[in-house]
Amino acid sequence: MTTAGPFIHSGQTNRKIMVMVLVSLSPSLVAALVRYGAGAGLVILSALAGAWLAELLLDREQAFDCTALVTGAIFALLLPPTAPWWLGLLGGAVAIGLGKHAFGGLGRNLFNPAALSRVLLMGVLPVYFFSTTWTIGGLTRASPLAKESGAIGPTITELLAGNTPGALGQAAPHAVLVGGLLLVLLRAIDWRIPLTYLAAVAFLALVLPASARIEGHAPWLLGNPLLHLVGGGSLVVAFFMLTDPVTAPFSPSGRIVFAIVAALYTMLVRFYTPYPDGAALAVLLANATVPLIDRATLARASGDAPLGATVLSTDSAAP
Amino acid sequence: MSPFARFLSTAREALYGRHIPRLKSTGDTAITQIEAPERVRLAIAGQVAVVEVGETVEAGDLVARTPEAVRFQRRVHASLSGTVTALSQEEVVIEGEVPDRPPITHSEPDWISPESITDTAREAGLIGMGGAMFPAYVKLSRVAPIDVVLVNGCESEPYLTCDQRVLEEQRGEVDCGTVLAMHAVEAERGLIIDRETYYPGGYERLLIRDVLGRVVPARGLPRDVGTLVINVQSALALHDAVCLGRPLIDRVITVDGGAVGRPGNYRVPIGTEVGHVLDACRVDVSKSAAILTGGPMMGRLAERLTPVTAGTGGVLALTAAELSRSRTQPCIRCGHCMEACPFDLPAAYLAETPHKAVLGCVECGACQFNCPARIPLVERLQRAKAVVTAWD
Repeated sequence: MTTAGPFIHSGQTNRKIMVMVLVSLSPSLVAALVRYGAGAGLVILSALAGAWLAELLLDREQAFDCTALVTGAIFALLLPPTAPWWLGLLGGAVAIGLGKHAFGGLGRNLFNPAALSRVLLMGVLPVYFFSTTWTIGGLTRASPLAKESGAIGPTITELLAGNTPGALGQAAPHAVLVGGLLLVLLRAIDWRIPLTYLAAVAFLALVLPASARIEGHAPWLLGNPLLHLVGGGSLVVAFFMLTDPVTAPFSPSGRIVFAIVAALYTMLVRFYTPYPDGAALAVLLANATVPLIDRATLARASGDAPLGATVLSTDSAAP
Repeated sequence: MSPFARFLSTAREALYGRHIPRLKSTGDTAITQIEAPERVRLAIAGQVAVVEVGETVEAGDLVARTPEAVRFQRRVHASLSGTVTALSQEEVVIEGEVPDRPPITHSEPDWISPESITDTAREAGLIGMGGAMFPAYVKLSRVAPIDVVLVNGCESEPYLTCDQRVLEEQRGEVDCGTVLAMHAVEAERGLIIDRETYYPGGYERLLIRDVLGRVVPARGLPRDVGTLVINVQSALALHDAVCLGRPLIDRVITVDGGAVGRPGNYRVPIGTEVGHVLDACRVDVSKSAAILTGGPMMGRLAERLTPVTAGTGGVLALTAAELSRSRTQPCIRCGHCMEACPFDLPAAYLAETPHKAVLGCVECGACQFNCPARIPLVERLQRAKAVVTAWD
């Protein structure tokens, strides 16, 4: 124990923050379970188990602070409901093993572990991620952001009800929103990140020029900001992935720049590439800019701070 | 406030505790003279003793002073009447009895010149009693135009209520001390700030900003914006010195914490050992996990032999539950430290990356109080400051 204060503490812990995030993720997980049934439950459980077992293996002490469960749950939300159970287990373990511990453990990873795991696995096992249509309840539908699909786009009602194929996190936009707003209200995450990201996505959906790929195959992607907010992984990314404090910038102004970078990349992928969604990739790209953003914003913010307060003060100093 | 809003704010406080709690329970306890200590240890580092071992002294007698050539003059006076029993470069030990509180000499001059107030403050050994312990006469001399004197009674440290009690019980003397300070620097206005504030709102830079809307420049002093800030008890001591001819030999401290049997506010001779304070206030040693001098945010760990100084606002005996210690976890860059900082400094970042901005840190500890990873940020910021200072 040090001889200098403070000697009292708020009682806040990393673990309490993680439990709060898990609680906020639960509406989304339950919604996925309700919509897709036991299959989704198995995917979720296997992702949680894969992440937690990897954590237990690599850092026994950290295994009980719930950070691995948060990573596992977020990874599960990125998987399609048709994913096999072993993909969840593998993805959860890759997220913790390569995404977190390979970088030195909690607090040291540059990239969001769930996003990194998803992108790595998508590279080697594309078949489980890239099928753009799923048969659900006997009905075959296209993913709302897919570009080479049929000629009809999803209706607004379908979107808001989560009644379109997609990853587990897209099963119920309102459940993601409820969890996300809870995190904002509890100040477990910085509200600037989701607000800036979603506003920038909507803005870009309106102003970005169309490409031949969209005009020919999926004209409903144009002039439709709601589709881009609710259709892909935007909500999960905005509230649960970009807000991961470890992989986000430190200062409030830096976080705004960071969210704009992520939104720009998301929309570039959606408008000008054959991929259906760029949200997970956008998270990684934005993560990579964090050291740069930190250096720029923190040095400036710090330069404006009053200097020499204690060094030169001759006045009665203690508050 | 709707029930939902109340639920959210309760949950938020329980989870995040952004506001440092006041924890003040002795605000209604009247000041009493502490049981007389048998001896006092007066710190005299950097000064020359004018007494010898075995010499008999009266309370109020000069025992040490700085040589004339030293820029900032200090004086130390006996706080007990008795015999000098030990003497070193660092301290004078006096064993004896507590003097009566009433005036030692009494003067009622018709007119006091500003210079004489400054001279009296120097000879009475007045120093900043808010914790800085800087010689008060330096601030009370007219080196720069001052238009406002702020008497700081915010006492934003948790637990401490001694300044609040002094304001309640000796308001007349504090008012007089304020007027004397205004006269010394020829200020037109004097404000006694006795409102409750957030921690660390009592820090003088924040007080000047919040009360007067003036911003003390980087590397500047309050006098650069025409302001003089003194602590409540410094104002009282100025009154005692000028009106009663009484040097600085005692002060009021708060004794509190879960392990204290008789918490309250006590007038204590300067140099009283913390061990004596603990015994006099019936501290249960088995329950106490840490003994501090000062408040729980900026105070320091103390031992039984640590003396109470003019800058000591309290003696706290805290239980393990009050300390709520826990192991340090990795930083998750949550940014709570930056949100808690009154100067918006990114504490976790500055603790790792040396940058001159760290010199703006006043070590108030608000960041560490709120850190969910329990990182000893104050200690690391102190180290970062040392690194940055070495650059120059």
